[in-house]
Amino acid sequence: MNYAVNYVLKRLAYGIISLFGLSILVFVLARVLPGTPVDLARLALGPNASISAINTFIDELHLNAPLPLQYLYWIEGIFTGNWGISLVTKRNVLTDVIEFLPATLDLLIMTAIIILLISVPLGLVAGRMQNTFVDNVIRVITYVGIAVPSFVVAILLQLFLGYDLHLFPIIGQLSPGIAPPPHITGLYLIDGLITGDFGAWVNALWHLILPSFSLALGPIAQETRILRAAVVENQNRDFTLAETSHGLPEGLLTTRYLLKPSIIPMLTVYALDVSSVIANAFLVELIFDWPGFSRYGLNAMLSKDLNAIIAVVLVAGILFIIANTLVDFTVSRLDPRVSEEMGD
Amino acid sequence: MAMTEGTTPKPKSRRNLLIIAIVVIVVIVVVASIAVVTTKPAKTTKTLTEAQQTLSMTWANVPDLDPATGDDEASQAALANVYDSLVFPTATGNIVPDLATSWSISDSGLVYTFHLRPDVYFHDGNILTAQDVVFSMDRLLTMGQGFSYLFAPYVANVTAPNNSTVVFTLKAIDGPFLSSLVFLYILDQKEVMAHLAPGPYGSYGDYGHTWLLTHDAGSGPYEVIYANLEANVTLEEYSNYWNGTKPNQPKYVNMIGTSQTSTVEALFDSKQIQVTDMWQTYSTISTLSKQPGAAILSIPIPEEMYLMINTAIPPTNSLYVREAMAYAFNYSAIIGPGGPFQGMGYASGPVSPALPGSNPNLTIQQNITFAKKLIQESEYASNISQYPVTFMYTTAVPAEAQLATSFAADMAKIGITVNIEGEPWLTMEADMGNQSSAPNIASVEVAASYFEAGSVLSEMYTPSARGTYFQNYWLNNSTQSLLGNEIANATSILNQTARFQAYKQIEQQIFNMYLNIYVFSAREVRAYYPGIVDISLNSIIPLIGYIWYYRDIGFNATAMS
Repeated sequence: MNYAVNYVLKRLAYGIISLFGLSILVFVLARVLPGTPVDLARLALGPNASISAINTFIDELHLNAPLPLQYLYWIEGIFTGNWGISLVTKRNVLTDVIEFLPATLDLLIMTAIIILLISVPLGLVAGRMQNTFVDNVIRVITYVGIAVPSFVVAILLQLFLGYDLHLFPIIGQLSPGIAPPPHITGLYLIDGLITGDFGAWVNALWHLILPSFSLALGPIAQETRILRAAVVENQNRDFTLAETSHGLPEGLLTTRYLLKPSIIPMLTVYALDVSSVIANAFLVELIFDWPGFSRYGLNAMLSKDLNAIIAVVLVAGILFIIANTLVDFTVSRLDPRVSEEMGD
Repeated sequence: MAMTEGTTPKPKSRRNLLIIAIVVIVVIVVVASIAVVTTKPAKTTKTLTEAQQTLSMTWANVPDLDPATGDDEASQAALANVYDSLVFPTATGNIVPDLATSWSISDSGLVYTFHLRPDVYFHDGNILTAQDVVFSMDRLLTMGQGFSYLFAPYVANVTAPNNSTVVFTLKAIDGPFLSSLVFLYILDQKEVMAHLAPGPYGSYGDYGHTWLLTHDAGSGPYEVIYANLEANVTLEEYSNYWNGTKPNQPKYVNMIGTSQTSTVEALFDSKQIQVTDMWQTYSTISTLSKQPGAAILSIPIPEEMYLMINTAIPPTNSLYVREAMAYAFNYSAIIGPGGPFQGMGYASGPVSPALPGSNPNLTIQQNITFAKKLIQESEYASNISQYPVTFMYTTAVPAEAQLATSFAADMAKIGITVNIEGEPWLTMEADMGNQSSAPNIASVEVAASYFEAGSVLSEMYTPSARGTYFQNYWLNNSTQSLLGNEIANATSILNQTARFQAYKQIEQQIFNMYLNIYVFSAREVRAYYPGIVDISLNSIIPLIGYIWYYRDIGFNATAMS
């Protein structure tokens, strides 16, 4: 187990180095965008801002300092809680991150659950029933899932299930008149459970279903295909044949002995798909008027909001690293060969 | 052989697997259905009542609730409802008492003394005093953003001799000072000072800015009960409002920050919003207005679209060419059916007709014959085709591409070639800011900042506007400074009638210089449900923010059920 801990620590160390490199890259790219510091200040404060307001703004962001020094100021701010002022919300970017990230994490968690709940059974069935009618139906469904972008799915679901059938809300995290659960983590799904505010929890869950499913459909299709391919490959291997010849029940063989080796390739893609929600959900968040981090990132890009852009990229990077570390660890637990490489 | 058989699942096993899969899918569907049914919020009386009493609208963005920084349409709409000012605008352009019961102006025109109501309480229960007014002005001027530019050149100091008297001393006479004061929103000093965070303003930290983005410190007819900067702001009527609440005003107002078309359509069709935002295309608004009970709401606003003409480069340095272009342009094609700005109104010269002090007689209609004659009289009569005209527009507004194409087609009729350049706004702003890169024509929409023609004249035609996106004229220095002086003189006239007369003369002068092609006078065009939202077009105050003064808007909660 110590080896496993070492492995995770090693991955995290690599992750921190990657983040450091990423921060330099994004910082430089954000700062070399066209426009003088005064242009940027006017963009943030409006064309009629006073000279003193412009100077205060430039001083606060150290825009007149050499680029390396600006970076050092920024790094210092990151560790002291001053992530810089957002040009859009006009407050500390850290405050924005704390406010908007949980809404997207709620989406991410729900999306992750939906992907697993649907793609694993579908992948297993398609693999075990290779080239049958059922497999073909699942294949068509997955092709559609891969081909249709999430924002199209979002609009269709919104119009059909939300507007026409009134089964789900059209926008927002909670219905009018429903107060958010007491703030602990900021994630309604978690805070509602922790504080026992089940009314808000249930309402939040109800609001999450359509945007989460919109985001999940593409990954469901992809993961289903990957799992199917792995099942098809593994069911022709010797260990499967041996277990079948020993008369193991079909269900047990599939869920216990076939699933474990087959799910490994899917997990890597699954981690990437889930963690990419943080960066790719902006259109779905826009459609469902979801007050999330991804939409915040889109607005930051469109408004040349330097500090917010850097924060969004970094937070997305951190989540990617965490997700990949978790998956690598999980894979190492599932695959004895990887575990052996780690010396566990 | 046995091994071979083992590689393929037996038919029976396949059936079992299929049954398992079906069971799993059925379980998922059932669980999801139960979740949907059980998680749908119970329609308690409270929820229904609040939903029914909520006027919901979409806006281009979520309002910025800090009176010192929020200056866009949505922010001003929220601020005008949450805060009070000393004076209040009327639909006809007059200024009437609000927090101030009366005021006097010194003979010099430099000292304004206001007497405040004694019975005004902020939303947190603190009483409003003259010191709060002083604090609000100091805060606005120190932060130097939002509408501070209306006051910074004029206000020397503000004092509070007692709790109910405020004295403004000006550095120079400012004729529209009273009009500008509608944008001085009064904050509760105690409340703001209790919520300071670290910031650049010395002992005032951030001047309460971070807190004020999501809370309010006002005394207006509505108070903020929820604010999420990426989603929406919800207001609730303030039951202790000094001017009372009206029986039909909406109890709640939900300002949703999205103009995403499919979302707006779904929300409007299901009546979850009763008024759309003004950023939908006319065809979308038209489609939405065909919903049962819906209609189009078209409100003139003090905003105009200009094709600003560069007078420093050929061929637009010729007055004849500029005039010819103005007469060759087909205005009806732009605002008429199928035009890129369908639903907008005809412009009348340099100042929007929605603004008091505008000159209503400065209109032009397309006349190609006359335009050709003007070209013939110009110094470019023989070689106009050798001088292509550059037309720059921002790609942020797709309809402007169509405007550019239409303009080019019209100019071709009089022999002028047009090179169209679509640019991102930042690039366009940078190009307009430099004489060497400024185009012949720049397409820009400008809004008035206060409720007088002088606002637009000061913004666009004074020397301080040179090098900003407010002008693309590059007049020679003597003409520019002459015009600037005339505008400064006009805005320093205290008598409103005389001031407006001076504005009209300046407008005529600018019109005669053919500095712009006046494309249209803007309107807020929205879809709404007149049976639910009762708006009297005659009583609307066509000033940013005050258009949506919810206390004066009737809301039929019964129709919402």
